[in-house]
Amino acid sequence: MDHLVTSRRLFNGLLLGTAFGALLPASQSLANPQSGGTLTITTTPEPAIITNALSSAPTTAELATKIFDGLLEYDLELKPKPSLAESWTISPDGKIITFKLRQGVTWHDGKPFTSADVQFALMEVVKKFHPRGQGNLGPVQSIDTPDAHTAVFNLAHPYPPLMMGLSSLESPIVPRHIYEGTDFRNNPAVNAPIGTGPFKFARWEKGNFIQLDKNENYWRPGRPYLDRLIIRFIADSATRAAGVERGEIDVATFGTINPVEMRRLETLPHIAIAKGGYEAIAPVMMLELNVQKPPFDDKRVRLAVAYALDRNFITRAIWHGFGKPAVGPISSFMKGNGAFTDQNILRFDVRDRLEIANRLLDEAGLKRGANGMRVKIFHDPAPFGEDWRRMGEYIKQALARVGIEVELRNRDYPSFVRLVHNEYDFNMTSTWSIGMADPTLGVQRQTWSKTINRAVPFGNVSQYSNPEVDKLWEAAQTEIDPAKRNQIFHKLQELLVADSPIIWLMEMDLVAVQNKRVKDLITSPLGLRGGLYETWIQR
Amino acid sequence: MWFARGRYILERLVRGLPIILAIVVVNFFLIRLAPGDAAQVIAGEAGAASEEYMAQIRRQFGLDQPLYIQFLSYMKNIVTFDLGFSFRHGREVSSLIFDRLGATAILMGAAMVISVTLGTLLGAIAAMRDRTIVSHVIVIFAVVSYATPLFWVGLMLIIVFSIQLGWFPTSGIITVGADYTGLRAVVDVLHHLVLPAVALSCFYMALYARLMRSSMLETLGQDYIRTARAKGLSDRTIMATHALRNAVLPVLTMAGVQVSGMLGGSVIVESVFGWPGLGLLAFESLFARDINLLLGIFFLSSILVVVTNAVVDVIYTIIDPRIALNTGRTHG
Repeated sequence: MDHLVTSRRLFNGLLLGTAFGALLPASQSLANPQSGGTLTITTTPEPAIITNALSSAPTTAELATKIFDGLLEYDLELKPKPSLAESWTISPDGKIITFKLRQGVTWHDGKPFTSADVQFALMEVVKKFHPRGQGNLGPVQSIDTPDAHTAVFNLAHPYPPLMMGLSSLESPIVPRHIYEGTDFRNNPAVNAPIGTGPFKFARWEKGNFIQLDKNENYWRPGRPYLDRLIIRFIADSATRAAGVERGEIDVATFGTINPVEMRRLETLPHIAIAKGGYEAIAPVMMLELNVQKPPFDDKRVRLAVAYALDRNFITRAIWHGFGKPAVGPISSFMKGNGAFTDQNILRFDVRDRLEIANRLLDEAGLKRGANGMRVKIFHDPAPFGEDWRRMGEYIKQALARVGIEVELRNRDYPSFVRLVHNEYDFNMTSTWSIGMADPTLGVQRQTWSKTINRAVPFGNVSQYSNPEVDKLWEAAQTEIDPAKRNQIFHKLQELLVADSPIIWLMEMDLVAVQNKRVKDLITSPLGLRGGLYETWIQR
Repeated sequence: MWFARGRYILERLVRGLPIILAIVVVNFFLIRLAPGDAAQVIAGEAGAASEEYMAQIRRQFGLDQPLYIQFLSYMKNIVTFDLGFSFRHGREVSSLIFDRLGATAILMGAAMVISVTLGTLLGAIAAMRDRTIVSHVIVIFAVVSYATPLFWVGLMLIIVFSIQLGWFPTSGIITVGADYTGLRAVVDVLHHLVLPAVALSCFYMALYARLMRSSMLETLGQDYIRTARAKGLSDRTIMATHALRNAVLPVLTMAGVQVSGMLGGSVIVESVFGWPGLGLLAFESLFARDINLLLGIFFLSSILVVVTNAVVDVIYTIIDPRIALNTGRTHG
């Protein structure tokens, strides 16, 4: 087996050295892909809309990225690859980016795709409506279209993260001729979308399934391999697992099946865990501490909590190994581009961590009372399912050992958002955050003081405000020298962990469960949020 | 007689109107006691949002209006049977409900038929074979299925009949992607219907069996049964014409309650079996704070309850003519 792997790598390596190599997908399978067949995916919850220019909800993203293309794609090392844009040049000052667009691409309704679509989609739709549009395209002031296949971006200032935010997930290209002059949000095409992507929208049976059919005129020759994609919505997690076990469902996306159940399914002969495909999402699970209220306005209490929790236990026992302990805010997935570091970062997994935690709490003046407790806090676990409540229970026990009494407040989703994210009525809350392919795009909003905003959930809910940190985040937005930019990120990680307004617990593996007859499922750092045009079914 | 009955039904329905109206008003305000609104849910699901984005959604949903304005416009819509717009789904509430009504009607109808026929049958058998093994088995079965949580019954059915035996699909209402038509499509739906209908009928079947058994036992001890026996009528005739007719009345009352309560049960069964009906829609719209949609479903179910009660009362008078048509006037 080892030999096989080695020779395959060698084989690919040799090919990659040649001009033809670039045409190979990232994870070339040994067998020849077969065309045809229907892939059935289950996800949850059913999306409200299926145009991701309006929403970055995970299920919306999973669907829309099959229908729309972006200007760029990324390889598993997060390097930009051509998609609707074939090539690009960046001016020396970083303020003008010129994209040459692919010719001969048509929309699903047969109309030709041109630079006018790019101008309209990004400036009039994505920048205005996509929840992360401002972050991705903020400094883009205008897009010129000198000819039908050239788009020139004019930036207010250099913005390195821009090149990481042009995928179909972040900046889908929608057709100008369908939407121009209409109320975008209420246009019926929003839920019967027309794109340039590998699959065409066919129908949506509400509460049941969405069907996408193969785009016969897709610009990638011979792709997609699948005839049809069915995305099914089943409310109950155990039923979803039963559907996978029985072979009615080929793929269950992350979060649709409990970790413990995934471990059981994994032992069945026809089922595998599809790993990878979240490199450009870089999700980190964390505890946000309300630093504006006692006791977490005291840094020593925050650090005590960081020491008192066992990240290895959380990863192993609660999440069944689907992840690895986090070092800081930036995921080690960003090792490839150099943004991640574990040097000079305060470590909490030391042998005497409980003694340190107790000492810090003593120093903070929190004396143990008659019942052995020093202080009482409220913890609001994220309402994302069983496992989050389990983690809350572990936190309650772990913190009791150092004298912090925890009361758990489990609530439904809308109540949680209102009380925690809009009223800041909490001490500690769990959540996970998408780091994106660049820290400016995903990580910045957790601790930048400009993202403290009661009106907008999932921003800087800790209400952490530190002028030094702000200055560093803002410097990273415009620094075009990658080495200098990474130094800024390293400094940020060092400062933030030492101050711990947030306790970064685990880098999550957003794994999916799949039937083994499905091949080449994960070929993009967006995983199931990629186009799935390389995916095929063994018959 | 038929004229009186028609008038009776009409009066019952008219008396139901203020009840429905009261339900509508209470629902409107009760729902708003739950913290969080649809804009926050949508922004939360989106993972990030700007302030303008939130304000835009609120304005569009009318959530920026004062509560009394929202209430007045809601009431204005309701009296014209306009159930409003679901912003989450981007469609008229009435069309969303209409789309799901069929699935729920099939499921509830099947569960109703299974539970009433099997339940009364089992109850009657248990009463006739009182103090025998058969009776004990039926009683134990009734107690167990009465006490078992609905979602557990559903999951067990899936594990045994879908995964182990492979007889039925685990979920859904049709074989997705098969595109069956005609008779093949009907058979396909029935195939998917079996497990959820059985799961949903278990609880009520047990109730009917217990009710029927005790009611039968009581009836069989009555004087007129003894008289019938003394007249030398056969057991079969006594059961069919004397005992069953009287014993079935409490079952009928319960059937009325079942129709009203079934939407609650179907929330669970529809979730477990991925059955695309109203119960699932109600469940999802609650967690999405899709208020117009939720109110629409409540409105529809309150009408269903009022109508069912009227219908049950009428059937009463058919089965037992001694029950007078109470037209709201006091009897002497």
